[in-house]
Amino acid sequence: MAKLSDRTANALVLAAVVSGFLLLMGIGLAGIVVMERNLRFTELVAHTYEVQDAISEYRVLNERMETARRGYLLSANPRFSTVFEQMTTLAPAALQRIGDLTQDSPAQQARFARAKALAQDQISLAKASVANRQASAADFAEDRVVDDTRALRDLSQEMAKDEAAKLVQRNRERINSVEQLIVLVALGGLLTLGIAVGSLWVIWRYTRDLTRSRDELGRLNENLEDEVAARTVELSRANEEIQRFAYIVSHDLRSPLVNVMGFTSELEAAAKPLGALVERVETEAPELLHPDAKLAVTSDLPESLRFIRASTQKMDRLINAILRLSREGRRVLTPQRVDLNVLFATVVSSVKHRADELGVEIEIAPHLPVVVSDRLALEQIFSNLVENALKYLKPGRPGRIEIRAQPRGERVIVEVADNGRGIDPKDHSRIFDLFRRSGAQDQPGEGIGLAHARTLGYRLGATVTVDSTLDEGATFRVSLPASLTLEASAA
Amino acid sequence: MNDSRHVTIVMIEDDEGHARLIERNIRRAGIMNEIRHFADGGSALKYLHNDVNGPALNGPALVLLDLNLPDMSGTDILADIKSNEKLRRTPVVVLTTTDDKVEIQRCYDLGCNVYITKPVNYESFADAIRQLGLFLSVIQVPEPEAKA
Repeated sequence: MAKLSDRTANALVLAAVVSGFLLLMGIGLAGIVVMERNLRFTELVAHTYEVQDAISEYRVLNERMETARRGYLLSANPRFSTVFEQMTTLAPAALQRIGDLTQDSPAQQARFARAKALAQDQISLAKASVANRQASAADFAEDRVVDDTRALRDLSQEMAKDEAAKLVQRNRERINSVEQLIVLVALGGLLTLGIAVGSLWVIWRYTRDLTRSRDELGRLNENLEDEVAARTVELSRANEEIQRFAYIVSHDLRSPLVNVMGFTSELEAAAKPLGALVERVETEAPELLHPDAKLAVTSDLPESLRFIRASTQKMDRLINAILRLSREGRRVLTPQRVDLNVLFATVVSSVKHRADELGVEIEIAPHLPVVVSDRLALEQIFSNLVENALKYLKPGRPGRIEIRAQPRGERVIVEVADNGRGIDPKDHSRIFDLFRRSGAQDQPGEGIGLAHARTLGYRLGATVTVDSTLDEGATFRVSLPASLTLEASAA
Repeated sequence: MNDSRHVTIVMIEDDEGHARLIERNIRRAGIMNEIRHFADGGSALKYLHNDVNGPALNGPALVLLDLNLPDMSGTDILADIKSNEKLRRTPVVVLTTTDDKVEIQRCYDLGCNVYITKPVNYESFADAIRQLGLFLSVIQVPEPEAKA
């Protein structure tokens, strides 16, 4: 299965959420529209009921009027005549109400017009028949009122039927619209469900990919740690070998040196009586003394011996330096809590006298961190750096040395910055080599301090670097682990 | 009390030059005892154990021992001497170039009597040997077990 890219996954999820919301809004709007339509249908249905009501009322009144007329015509009872009189006003009013209510339907209006005309004719005829009865006996032979009444009865029935049909239709429409709403909501629900399932699927896949990459990363990291550990072991073995080598070499070089120096001294001692002899011969029997012999004893021999002695002494110093380095490299490290404030106070106090003589100001930044490391090694490293800063001042510029340190992640960066004569950038890597120095060789030293600092630093898992331009001072930076673990530097 | 003049000085030193310088300076200190020089551990051990004039069978001796030998480590010789019934009372002066703390401790643990680091500077070296010579002139060395 192809992996989802971050962007695709994000876009998909966003699209799903947006379309889900749009869909919900659509369903809501459709619902409102359908509800409104439904409301309208309901109103229409109610209206139809009202019309039906009006029609039946008129029909009742119409029947009562005819019944009263008939009763009066038969009995000539004035009670009937009173009812009849009432009905002749009530029935047209009821008819008129039908006309008012059915103004929206042309077919009903046409029927209403016909009914109205019929009713006028009916009532005027009926009134005439009643008036006639007051004068004479009942005569049904030619009663047209009955015809009119019948016609009105049929007409009103037709109107009622029309309304009933309308009622059925409007009810059906109302039901249809409700059904549409139900279908719409169901469809919307299904779509929302689909979108929800889709986005869940996308999120699930994305999360699974993320988990997988995280696991992968963790595995790589673990491998890396193993690799680093293996490399560290290898390096410390190599380092150990070099230390042993240095020790053996320097040690074995020392033995012949003892001989060279020893026999040189013996030679010097032997040269003394020889010189005395030459002097005696010169005064007592000058003819015996060859000028070459005199030159050899008084000048060549002492000069040669002087050179041999100077060289062997230098060689002795170098061998001692290597020995000290190798011994320092073999020393067992003991990590302990080291307060850099205290450490630098010690380092600075040991050079205070010289700094005062040279007029150098040394400033230690306040609140230096505490590290866990080998105290002696740290002291040695920072002593070397501070001593160098004191040694290589820029003539004519008051010396100033700043010491600062700050934690950075799991490391602590310590800086020893001076405003001295600086180091040419082309010498920046050279100065860390054994016996190599930079700039004017006007200070005593064998070129050991920085090599020593760097070698010690490696044992502590620290790096020593320099940042400097000629004449502008130098900043030596030591990046050391805040907490030294011995397996990391098992040298 | 024996006469220290009979004590043989057994010098185990692979470097001929060192041996010569040591001998010269011992002589200059006025020590006239016999000095037997061995340049390797094997022949030195053979002498110590088996020679008729060796300390195991005869006459008292004092061992000047260098730790860096071609065929074996000086500490092995020291351990051999100090674990041997007949030789263990023989004084051993370790005279070597090593000034390693651990090495010094180890030698004393093994029973060395004196440990001296050869100074590289010849004046100091000569001084040290002459002082050792003075020390040898007053030191008491026990008779071998066989005679005691």
